[in-house]
This record gives sequence, C-alpha cells and structure tokens, in this order.
Amino acid sequence: MKILVVDDFSTMRRIIKNLLRDLGFNNTSEADDGLTALPMLKSGNYDLLVTDWNMPGMQGIDLLKAVRADDDESLKNIPVLMVTAEQKKEQIVEAAQAGVNGYIVKPFTALILKEKLEKIFARIG
Amino acid sequence: MVEEKELITDDNIARVKDLLVCMESGNEEDAIEIIDELTTIRETELYQDMGKLTRELHDAISNFGMDDSINKLAEQSIPDARERLNYVISKTDEAANKTLEAVEESIPICNDLNKQALELHATWQKFTNRELSADQFRQLSRDINDFFVNTYEISKIKDHLTSVLLAQEYQDLTGQIIKKVINLVAEVEDKLIGLIQITGAPQVETKKDNDSSGLDGPVVPGLEHKDTVSGQDEVDDLLSSLGF
Repeated sequence: MKILVVDDFSTMRRIIKNLLRDLGFNNTSEADDGLTALPMLKSGNYDLLVTDWNMPGMQGIDLLKAVRADDDESLKNIPVLMVTAEQKKEQIVEAAQAGVNGYIVKPFTALILKEKLEKIFARIG
Repeated sequence: MVEEKELITDDNIARVKDLLVCMESGNEEDAIEIIDELTTIRETELYQDMGKLTRELHDAISNFGMDDSINKLAEQSIPDARERLNYVISKTDEAANKTLEAVEESIPICNDLNKQALELHATWQKFTNRELSADQFRQLSRDINDFFVNTYEISKIKDHLTSVLLAQEYQDLTGQIIKKVINLVAEVEDKLIGLIQITGAPQVETKKDNDSSGLDGPVVPGLEHKDTVSGQDEVDDLLSSLGF
C-alpha cells in the first residue's frame, strides 16, 4: 500500500506518517502542495492520497479535482482522504462533490484516521 | 473660533462718521485711508481666527503623533510584533519537531520490547507445559538474558519522555508573546479610531476581508464562524446526509 501525504506543514506530514506507520502503512511519501504532489501521483502508482486543503501553490481541493479529471484510470479512481482545518459546510460539500472519499477535520485523533481509512478500504474492497 | 471682536465701538463709529465727512467733501485720500483702517481691523480678526485654527490643527496632529506611541507603533512595535510572531512560529515548530523526534525514536524501542515480550511469554508457556527440549530451553534462557539487556533501552524512552516534557516550555513563551501582540493590536485599533475621528471621516461599517487564500482556516473558539461544522461528528453527519 503506497500512500502520498500532502501538507504544507512538515510537522503535520510527520504526524500523519507516524500514525500511518502505527496502522501498518510503512510505504509513505510526502509532498508540500498540489503542484509537487501531482507529478508524483502521475508517476508513482500510489494507492491512497491523503491531502490538506489550504496549501500555497496548488490547494488540496484543486489537486483532488485534477486527480479526478486525469486520463489515467487508476489515478482517476485513487481514494482521496482530506485532512484539513477547513470546517465550512460548503467546503465539505464541495469536496464531496469533487469526489473525496473521506474528510477529516483537524485536530484529529489516531482513532479517527483509522476509522476513515477502514471505511475507505471497506468501500473499495 | 475666535470671539467676534466688537465692531460697534466708539472708535469705529467715529471712523465711519469721518469717512462719511471725507466722502461728502470729496476728500478721497482720507476716505481711502479710513477704509484701509477698517479693512485692517477685519483682516486682523480673520488672521487671528485662521491662526488659531491652524494652531489647533497642528496641536491635534502633533499630539496625535507626539504622544509618541503612533510613531513607535509604526516604526517599532509593528515590525517588533512581526518578529515576535515569527518567533512563535519557530518556537512551536522547534517544539513539534523535538517532540516528534523523541516519539519517533521511542516507538521502535517499544515495538521491539513488546514483540520480544510476547515471544518470550509464548515460549515460557511452552516451558511450563513441559513442551521444550533441553536445547530450546537453553535458547530460551539466552533469549531471556537478551531481553533483560534490551530492557535497558527503557531508560532511553525515559529520556525521550523528558525531552517531550521540556519541549512544552514553548507554551509559556509563545503565550506571553501572543498576549503582547494582542495588546498591540488593541492599541493600533485605538489609534486608528483616533485617526478617523481627527480626519472627521464617518465611521463606516466595512465588510470583513478574507485573506488572499479565501479559506477560513481553523475554527477559533469564541470567534463567529458562519456555516461551519464543529468537529468530526458533524462532518460525518453532513457527509452521510449527502449519501456518503
């Protein structure tokens, strides 16, 4: 299971990576915004994308939309988990409409991350 | 405003009478002189008025600047506050990294000890059930010895925990700094209101500006946030209402 963690704050990436490792996911990479993430996703054969929303360069929502609009079927259908401090209802709705697979608001706990990942993987079987 | 100087004085009445006499007698020279006198009286009043107004304005402006805080705000306090806030970022960053480092170094130690303990316990149970050969028992006793040696690593975890503990000092420092910046912002607010009052501009309700990203960022307790959810449960409810 190869996972890409996208967040502009290195500490947050580190926290997520540690939590993922704790859940048994050791193969994680990092990117600090959508612009760096997108080429990695295109060439990297990732199985899951975990992304923040508010980032300089390319924001998480635009990364999500770019991924969903990609020609590559496997990238287009990659599960995307949004982990963000954005709590506006319209934003959550926007993410849902853009095809997000899970939405976690910061601050979050290890348990919430675990639940959301399980839910995502249960759905995609 | 300067008090209106008495116009109808005996002096002035005398001047006007003289003026009339001069004009009727065709004495133009004297008539002009008297008119000039009267004009000067009016002009002096006007100059005094303007002088006083100018002084008031000057005083207001210099008091505004000279209570020294506004200059200090612009030249010192605000750049200073920027520095302070940058310091908050670097302090919290440092603390987060120190903590993460300690945790990242502790977790593998815990995992190893945990795994070894589980294995030893399983083998130990075989031993109590008399399922171990002599060779296996010798291996078990070596493993137990190794395990004891490995438990010395616990002292490293203790050190890491202490460094996590110490890393929390940032809260005290950053708390104090942020408090100072809050006070500064309040002071700037006061000065701005003062400035608006001096210029006499009407106080208009302005629309709240968002920062350039157009995103709200974290919800701050105590601030008004429209149409936001409070916590993961509400996110989940919202999403499930959308058929998620």
